Amino acid sequence: MEIHQFLAAASSGDAVTNSALRFREVLRQIGPSEIYSHHLDAGIAGEVLPLDAYAVRPTARTGENLLLYHLSIGSVDVASFLLRRRERVGIVYHNITPSRFFRPYDAEFADVLDDGRRELAMMRDRASFAFAVSPYNARELESLGYPHVSLTPLIVDVQELAGIRPDPGMSQYLDTQMDGPLILFVGQVLPHKRPDLLLAAFHVLNTYLLPEARVAFVGPGRVAAYRVAVGRYARELNLTRAWLTGWVRDEELVAFYRAADVLVTTSEHEGFCVPLLEAMAFEVPVVARAFAAIPETVGDAAVLLPEADDPLLLAEAVKEVLDNDGLRHSLVAKGRARLKQFEPDVARAAFAEQLLAVV
Amino acid sequence: MTAPDDAHGRADELIERLRTRVQQRRDAGEYPQGLEADLDAHFQRIAGQRPGDLESVRAALVYLEGTMGFDPARIHTASNLRGGDLVHRGIAKAVSRQTEGVLEQVRVFAEAVRDTLQALLSAMEFPTTHEHAELIEQVDTIVERIASFERVDSGAPVEIEVLRRRIEELEAAEARREFHPWFSNQRFEDAFRGTAEDLQKRYEDLAREFVGVGGPVIDIGCGRGEFLELLRDLDVDAFGVELDPELVRADIDRGLVVEHGDGLLRLAAETDGSLGGIVLIQVVEHLSAQQVADLVQLAAEKLISGGRIVVETVNPQSLYVFAHSFFVDPTHAWPVHPAYLDFLFREAGFKEVLMRWRGLPDEEESLDELPEEGKEAENENIRRLNRLIFGPQDYAIVAVR
Repeated sequence: MEIHQFLAAASSGDAVTNSALRFREVLRQIGPSEIYSHHLDAGIAGEVLPLDAYAVRPTARTGENLLLYHLSIGSVDVASFLLRRRERVGIVYHNITPSRFFRPYDAEFADVLDDGRRELAMMRDRASFAFAVSPYNARELESLGYPHVSLTPLIVDVQELAGIRPDPGMSQYLDTQMDGPLILFVGQVLPHKRPDLLLAAFHVLNTYLLPEARVAFVGPGRVAAYRVAVGRYARELNLTRAWLTGWVRDEELVAFYRAADVLVTTSEHEGFCVPLLEAMAFEVPVVARAFAAIPETVGDAAVLLPEADDPLLLAEAVKEVLDNDGLRHSLVAKGRARLKQFEPDVARAAFAEQLLAVV
Repeated sequence: MTAPDDAHGRADELIERLRTRVQQRRDAGEYPQGLEADLDAHFQRIAGQRPGDLESVRAALVYLEGTMGFDPARIHTASNLRGGDLVHRGIAKAVSRQTEGVLEQVRVFAEAVRDTLQALLSAMEFPTTHEHAELIEQVDTIVERIASFERVDSGAPVEIEVLRRRIEELEAAEARREFHPWFSNQRFEDAFRGTAEDLQKRYEDLAREFVGVGGPVIDIGCGRGEFLELLRDLDVDAFGVELDPELVRADIDRGLVVEHGDGLLRLAAETDGSLGGIVLIQVVEHLSAQQVADLVQLAAEKLISGGRIVVETVNPQSLYVFAHSFFVDPTHAWPVHPAYLDFLFREAGFKEVLMRWRGLPDEEESLDELPEEGKEAENENIRRLNRLIFGPQDYAIVAVR
């Protein structure tokens, strides 16, 4: 028996692809293990195989392999492929962003997300078990009637990122060209992550509370209509100290983390949210909102704001973290302690243990 | 350690404190009335904007043209009241001068509107004449990032220039070293290596070394596939790797399992301890010193315990070889001395290393001994010369892992 993983789409830097790569390290200690994906970015093509390649594996004929499907968006191709196969299938659930966030900007992608929800329901009868990467995800699977749901934390090695040498050009730029405290937003500029809310709060901060503050939104904006709207919003509010950087390399991301004074996550939907742990590893205090899996990921190591949209409260919270040394130090210390619960070795062991329970 | 409830309590307290501070600022008039609502409405307005397309603007202009026939006759005078029509017509006639005047003003205005819209449309059709705000913003970001790189004074351009020159030199040297003949390797082998039957007879003994090795055998540089055929006849699981695509095609046509590519790279890609055997017939004399040394080490890694490697090559201890065969092949790099190869295999940890001398030149070619009595000293010299000049043309090392 071999264990292989399946994705709808794979690209380098993508959290779901990364988690499959980390799982593969563990799986390869057991036996041959590959990752297959319907869509493949050029950058990942050597690591991940196309979906069709699975059928030509000599062991695919036996029907005895175990197939793990990472579910985060819809893919008719992967779902129908798995429904056709004889092998046992397990789901790794990363959560699916509700389509309502995307509907006004990209109806096609919103449809893909709806498909994902339908597939999640469809796979219930096909899956022999399901791994959820957070308790939040586990609750959702259980409410859908999934049997045998177990919690399998993502294997995240934030220390690996922390060990990368920061890009010297970017570091020098951030140190010498950007004065004032730096507020950092890490993640894609997408509707459910609400960078617009952070911009509104930043307007309040910049105009009334902390004129010297700066904000950087580090991450690509793959939904053009939303990305354009966010950019225009910053321009119309005349927020010259806000910077939407677009996609950056890891070395540059590290430079941002090292220069940052606070990380703000305005997201309203996350299945786990890796940047929260990254900020903890770089000893950057976190301000977040109590949505979805975020409270479970940060624990007490963040200023956790209630769900309501309130740019004034968000601005006040950011100012508090920047001004209040005691609070900042306590958040950093709690972050350090929190990080211990997500040690990659612990997560690897948990994954291996869950696997043993199902094979 | 703090109990979770306590921690929650303190977190709630912090949020409450922040809320109070917001309220205090609000009460003190630090924030304008309705700030959050304004900010939200502002974003919603931007998010709701969708760029129109030129086609729909053009269609609207055509419609506008169609509505521009201003004429008092188009003003209805019909009425539902009895005699109403008459009254309307009467009034219309009475104010016809004024109506004409108003219509004239409307006409002038409408034409001005149309001309303005047309001017606007033609401006929109040439994107350089108006600003694409989002593009400008993206360009700003790019310029900003380029500037950040320019600020770093690392002297990189000079280093890159040095590297570029070095790469050019190396490429030129590599090009001088490479050999791309216009003739076919198949024809070359036919002309100088002998017929397939000759070769099969010659290699039968070496092929038998692989019977029962307990793993697949790789034939590196398998050429025309004679050795693979011998292995197939002996029921040995084997495949070949060959650089020349023409030879690969011919091998495949004959039903052999042969891949196109660099055999050494292919060997490196094999799983450690997975191969039953490795065949290198007349290959190592084509390799660099580094490649030969690396090859032996690689073989030690890839073979299973008890696996075998056969390396056959020209014997530089026989001077006959240099006069007859070695320089016939322009791609020969350097002969490999049997003592050196024997040393390499022993150093790499092979359990057994056997030397097989092969291909003694015809006896007629060697120097005859003197038939007369008492010429023992001269004959001994002749025998020495024969050994030196007419020694075996090839040797094979059979090494067991």
